[in-house]
Amino acid sequence: MFAQVLTSGIATGCVYGLVALSFVLIYKATGTVSFMQGELLMLGAFAAVFAHDGLGWPLLLAFAGAVAAMFALGALLERSVLRRAIGQAHLTALLLTFGLGMVLRGAVTAVPAATHEMHRLPLPFAGEHIAFGAVVVAGEHLVVILATALLCLGLGLFFRFSRAGLALRACSENPRVAALMGVSVNGMHTLAWALGAALAACAGLLLAPMTFVFPGMGLIALKAFPAAVLGGMSSLAGALAGGLFLGVVEAIAGLYLPEGVKDATAYALLLVALLVFPRGLFVTRGA
Amino acid sequence: MKALLTAAVLGMVAVALLGADYALSQSAFVATWAIAGLGLSLIVGQAGQISLGHGAFLGIGAYVEGLLAVAGWPPWVSAPAAVALAAAAGWVASLPGRRLGGMAFAMSTLAIALLVEEGLVRWESVTGGAAGLAVPSLRIAGQVISGPLGQSLVSTALLIVAYACCRRWVASRIGRAWRAVREDEAAAAAVGIDCGALRSLAFVLGAGLAGLAGVLYAHWLAYLSPEQFGLQLSFELLMLVFIGGAARLAGALWGAAVIVALPQLISLFTDALPARWGSASGVETLAFGLLIVLIILLRPAGIAGERRQAGREAG
Repeated sequence: MFAQVLTSGIATGCVYGLVALSFVLIYKATGTVSFMQGELLMLGAFAAVFAHDGLGWPLLLAFAGAVAAMFALGALLERSVLRRAIGQAHLTALLLTFGLGMVLRGAVTAVPAATHEMHRLPLPFAGEHIAFGAVVVAGEHLVVILATALLCLGLGLFFRFSRAGLALRACSENPRVAALMGVSVNGMHTLAWALGAALAACAGLLLAPMTFVFPGMGLIALKAFPAAVLGGMSSLAGALAGGLFLGVVEAIAGLYLPEGVKDATAYALLLVALLVFPRGLFVTRGA
Repeated sequence: MKALLTAAVLGMVAVALLGADYALSQSAFVATWAIAGLGLSLIVGQAGQISLGHGAFLGIGAYVEGLLAVAGWPPWVSAPAAVALAAAAGWVASLPGRRLGGMAFAMSTLAIALLVEEGLVRWESVTGGAAGLAVPSLRIAGQVISGPLGQSLVSTALLIVAYACCRRWVASRIGRAWRAVREDEAAAAAVGIDCGALRSLAFVLGAGLAGLAGVLYAHWLAYLSPEQFGLQLSFELLMLVFIGGAARLAGALWGAAVIVALPQLISLFTDALPARWGSASGVETLAFGLLIVLIILLRPAGIAGERRQAGREAG
């Protein structure tokens, strides 16, 4: 029982962590607090549903197509709208992303096919139970955890060894110096938003088998803020660790504490973290 | 003077178009929103901080007033209690950001807002939970104030008092210190300004005004439910301040008029659309979001602000 709750907490934590990762990635590279990660997550899941059910693509192709489409959308939004918020007050950019999020959510809600029926994304092993000796784990949780691990490995390699990844990190550390070294800062802003949107879409695809796909599913992205703060707001690895920590704490709180406390834990932790550990729970070395 | 004239003309046009009762009840809401907007413009425009939880402060004011009114307390006891509790919540929300400033306020006020909403839903024995809470009409000195005229007069009177207070604060030593903190924190600290305390003060006063608006809102609406005071409300209030122009107090008044009128204009527009164009709620969200984006891109200093960009953040 405890092991099952724990893996379900870790799986949820993976989704929190991925959204927090996309949020911190954008925040570090562009200085913009994005309030639209939840909507990007929702749109990514819907794009996969559309490709799979509507166009009849095989599942993996539909997933790849959805992530690629969200990558393109992120780049497009940065080029057309979000670029203008750079250098303005935090609040301006925050309101701008909130407005864009409303546009995305409203546009999806306005499509009758999106709201009138429940959508599900089938995932390999979903609904099955896998036994490791005495410990029985739900298949979809295991898939989510493995997929997150793979994704993070890929991201780690990208940031460490690829030219674009190094340039993006340089740009997040110090845009002036990066520009002097020949890095296109504008290009990196576009890349950050594109990656952020694609990561949010990945989180949506992983969340889809645990919940339904519906226009309000982006609400889960609010948990990314506590996760990012627990991770110190400036470290990609910290954001992921913060998300995992949050998922596990919530699962344990749901097991032992009365109904309703579970949903409040994340925000109570956020306040405590700001008061006591303003630099995050984990000692960070940058991502 | 010119602003007063414009307001008078707008008021007359509203009465002519909408009928006196409707215009008066809407003006009560505009004045109520404007009080909350004044509070937020102290935090955002003067002190240069971010609050994502202003809707929750309004909710605390509304619920405290509603519960005390149900228990039969007279308004001159219950309203100050509601304002004081909202201000206390503002103080608590400001604690994490006292040292950190900037983003920490956005995060701590967000946390407070979500905790308050969750608390209102879960604490069913007191707040009525998701089913909501019915609030009796406002009763001042034996007079029941339930008609649009009375509501409009009470709200406008309180708005004038609130505006006068804000004018005094902004023109005083406190206001100068807020602007100094907003423009350059290090310089402000160097001339002996206690930046942390001043930030907290902005949150206490701003949340108190939101609580006052909540008191009125509870009586005018006569029915409270937790989802009215969610994040959506906090962002609508931010939009209100932004639309009017955060740098000036009068911006809150213009912003309030726009925010009250907007949903009704949008619903007129969506009613005119053919039904097969999809669900009206989706189109409404879409239209509101689009307006936010357009206003920010086209008029970053607000529709009433002709000055330079409002509240550019240092660091």
